Formats: sequence, structure tokens, C-alpha cells
Amino acid sequence: MSRVRLFDLARPSRQHLMGYILLAPAVLLVGLIIVYPLIISIDLSLQAVKLPRIGAPRAPFTTANYERLFASSEFWMACWVTLKLVVVVTAGSLITGVSTALLVNNRFRGRTLARLAMALPWAVPEVIAVVIFAWIFDSSFGLMSWLLVKLGLSNGMVAWVSTPGAAFWAVAITMIWKGFPFVSIMTLAGLQSIPTDFYNAAKVDGANVFQRFRWITLPLLMPVLGVTLVLVILWVFRDFSIIKVLTEGGPLKSTQTLSIMTYDQAFGFFNFGYASAVGVVTLVICVVASLLMLGRQTRAMY
Amino acid sequence: MNRTPLQSLALYGTVILLAALILFPVYWLLVTAISTSAELSQLPPSFWPDDAQWSTFAKVWEERPIPLWLLNSMLAAIGSVALSMVVSVLAGYALSRFSIRGGHSLGLFILTAKMLPATLLVIPLFSIFRNFGMIGSLWTLVLAHSTLIIPFTTWMLKGYFDTIPRELEQAAMVDGCSPMGAMVRVVLPVATPGLAATSLYAFVLSWADYAYARTFLVNAPGSWTANLGITTMRGEYTTDWNEISAAAVFVAVPIIVIYLFLERYLVGGLTAGAEK
Repeated sequence: MSRVRLFDLARPSRQHLMGYILLAPAVLLVGLIIVYPLIISIDLSLQAVKLPRIGAPRAPFTTANYERLFASSEFWMACWVTLKLVVVVTAGSLITGVSTALLVNNRFRGRTLARLAMALPWAVPEVIAVVIFAWIFDSSFGLMSWLLVKLGLSNGMVAWVSTPGAAFWAVAITMIWKGFPFVSIMTLAGLQSIPTDFYNAAKVDGANVFQRFRWITLPLLMPVLGVTLVLVILWVFRDFSIIKVLTEGGPLKSTQTLSIMTYDQAFGFFNFGYASAVGVVTLVICVVASLLMLGRQTRAMY
Repeated sequence: MNRTPLQSLALYGTVILLAALILFPVYWLLVTAISTSAELSQLPPSFWPDDAQWSTFAKVWEERPIPLWLLNSMLAAIGSVALSMVVSVLAGYALSRFSIRGGHSLGLFILTAKMLPATLLVIPLFSIFRNFGMIGSLWTLVLAHSTLIIPFTTWMLKGYFDTIPRELEQAAMVDGCSPMGAMVRVVLPVATPGLAATSLYAFVLSWADYAYARTFLVNAPGSWTANLGITTMRGEYTTDWNEISAAAVFVAVPIIVIYLFLERYLVGGLTAGAEK
């Protein structure tokens, strides 16, 4: 009898027990496939190892990987490329995303269709987006070069993937096309949660369309935009497939971000220890940056 | 809302122009797929082929292992979505309904797991899978994709459960349902649209993966997923752009169809909480 009572989850005092039981599978799985691997990474980054076996005796503790990292010009170059890409892609995605959202937030016939069309790139897998843009940026018969020549902006076909500056823009444009619909979807959700009463009241007070945008839409959209901004930045920081498939981080490492450097050190050169150090530094930058930004965003909410 | 004809014209003009610009790359993929190789190697490019080669789709489907790649992607997605959904439905419900010690920090941890770069996690996962002789097997993707999916689904589902009134379960329990029964028989059926939208979203996450598939499966062509297979169609010197484009259409279509269903929920789901 008492056994049955012990597991009687309906009793208020047993409510917590049920909560723990429901959480247990998630804790186990997350522990197994996220926390444990993460601990291994950090441990690997503190050993001078190439391609270690798990269970083999641990190599001696060393900070050599980090020392080598901060002394290497390749690492600082990767930081610079990542920063440039974050700034360009975030700015491009925010501007395109917010303006398309404002546009389709108007009431008009065919609005549903317009919304579907404008957010469609969200649904195109990154590798497929790269297939599309790799052809548009083809150096012999690509559309983009032809267009630039036609517009008089270029003298001849541009060797996109073998010219450092051009390769950066090819990556950035592909990422903006793929990334702006997320901003658009989030902004649209934010816009729809603004009560129309606010606008009506402002109209009664004689506010024009720009004043309404500046003093109602923008402030009320800020919390959503803040979170969206952080998510887009994190996406650019960690993206692998677009850069890897489009340029492989080249030419001359001009599109090699920290993510690409981590991967190539691990699976190109089999420097697991060194690669883990690059990855851990990337993670620390991501966490610190988003804490700083979300901290600012919470203050902006009040 | 009343507009002057001029305002309407400006609105429609802008919408159509922007939509055309955004959709152009997708249109270009289709045009490339049905162009002949000769037409693709000439300038100026033709914006609609003189002689549309719809047969390229059939050719690619038969000559390349596209059905196998799609099947592998499907299996990896179904496996990882099933595993992640079971775990995150339970966790999302617990986070929504119980104030458990440590529950909040666990929730926060799951949230920060979104920040983990896949390029960092892939290193230890590779070592672990190699230890168990799993490299080359689709099971690696079931586990690895779950690391991408669980942080999203747990929080999406917590959000959906928060919108379902607690009175529903309380009424069921007064009528003699156990707490577990109240969840399974009362809350889950009500949350079905949310569960469906979340599963589809998770499916998209798994389908889009390239990093894990490339790392674990690159030497096992029988296990290649669609994304991985497609990248192997790019030659070092020359690429048959019409064939790779046709293959890309096959890979993109399932996700675009899902998106057409999901779009309503993406916007609707996010706003539901805000309006309450």
C-alpha cells in the first residue's frame, strides 16, 4: 500500500517528482550528446594531440594550443574575416528583412502570397542556396559577372572564387539571401503584436506616417529586433556549409572564418587539439557577445 | 484602409519588384536545370531556354543515386525528429508546468546550447563515434542532429504548453485522471498543431545539415544524405550545371512544401504568446 502511495503522482507533494521524471530523458540525452562531448573538446584543447583515441591515456596538460593560437596570424585573420562577415551579413539581413516585413504588413490583396514569396529562401537548404549562387557567381558564364559588365561596373568576367575581395562578397550575398527571411518572419510577428489602437490614437493626435514609425513601431519592435540580431550574428559566426561549399574558405583564406578554421584544422590537418582550442575560443566569443547584447536588450525593454 | 490609385500602384509595384528579386535565384535554378549544356556556356545568358530539356530531371533521377540520397536524408530526419520530440515534449511540459529546483537553469542551459558551433561539437562527436565504430552509419546523424534540434524544440514546445490553460489538466484530474494520463490524453491532443509544427521545423533542421553528414559519412557513399551527395556532383574543373541544378530541385522541394504548410505557424505561433 505504502509503495503505491510513494509513487502516487497526483499527490501535491509528488508533483515535483513527476517534473523530475519528465525532465530525466532530456537531461540524460543532453548530457550524453552535448555536455560530455563539450567536456572532451575542452580537454582536447589542453593537450598536444593530433587524432586521439578516447580511452587512451591522456596526453600531458598543456596550454601550447592556445599559445600557438594567439601567436598565429591565421587566427587573427580568421577573426577579422568573421567580424567583417558578421557586420555585412547582419546589416544586409536586417535592412532587407525589416523592410520586406514592413511592406507585407500592409493590407492588400495577395498579401499571403507575397509573404510566402518573400520568406521562401528560409526554406531553401543552405547547400542548395550555394548550388544556385555558385552558378550565378561562376567565373566563365555566371550571370553576376555578365550583369556587372552590362552595367559598366566591370571590364571583364570576374573570377569570383579566385579573387579574395570578390569571394568575400559572393559569400556575403549568398548569406544575406539565405538569412534575411528569418529577420522578416520575426519582424512580422513583432509588428502584428503591436495593438492598432496605438496607431489610431497617434493619427488622432496628428502624427504622420514617419512619426508613427519612429515613435510607435520602432520602440515596440526593439525587443524582437534585439533577439533577432543576436540570433543572426550567432548564425553567421557558426555557419559552416555556405562558406565551405562555396569557397572552402579560400582564396588565400580570405573567407576563412573561425568556424571554417576549426573544421579544417580538425579534419583537414587532423590537429584535434589545436582545432578544439580554436572552437573553444569561438564558443567563448559567441557566449560573451550574446550575453553583452542580450543584457543591453533587456535594459532597452524598460 | 483607403489608398489613392497612385499609392496602390506604388505598393503593388514595390511588392512585385522585391518578390521578383528575391525569387529570381530560385527561378534561375529551374531555368538552369532545363537548359542544354551548350546554352549554359554562352553569353549573354538566355532567361528562358529555346529548347526546354525537362528530361534532365528524369536523367538525373536515374543516373545519379538521388533516390538513395533522399531516402538517407529522410531516415536521418525521421530518426532524429522522433528521438528529439519524445525527449523535448516531456521536458517542455515539465518546464512549462512544474517549478522544479534546477529546472530553470537546465532550461537556460538548453537555450545556450543553441550557441554551440557545430564545428566545435563535431570534433568530440567524431572521436566518440569512431570509438564505437559508428563512422559511416546513419545512426551518427540521428544523434548529431538531435544536438541541433533539442535546444529549439524544447523551447518551442514549452511555449506551446504555456498557452494551454492548466485548468484543462486540473479538470481531468478531478475526473480521476492521473497526472501522466492528463498530459497524454488531454494536453497532447490539444497541442497537436503545435507538435506538428515543431516536428516539421525539426525536420527542416535535420534536412539542412551538411557539416555532420560530411564528417561522419564522407567515406560511405551508401549513407550519403541529399546535401552531401549534391556537393559531390561539383567537379574540380567542370560541373554539369544543368544536372546539379535538377538534383538540387529534388532536394529543395520537400522542404519548400513543408515551408508552405509551416509558414502560418511560424508567424502565428510566435504571435500567439504576445497577444495573450
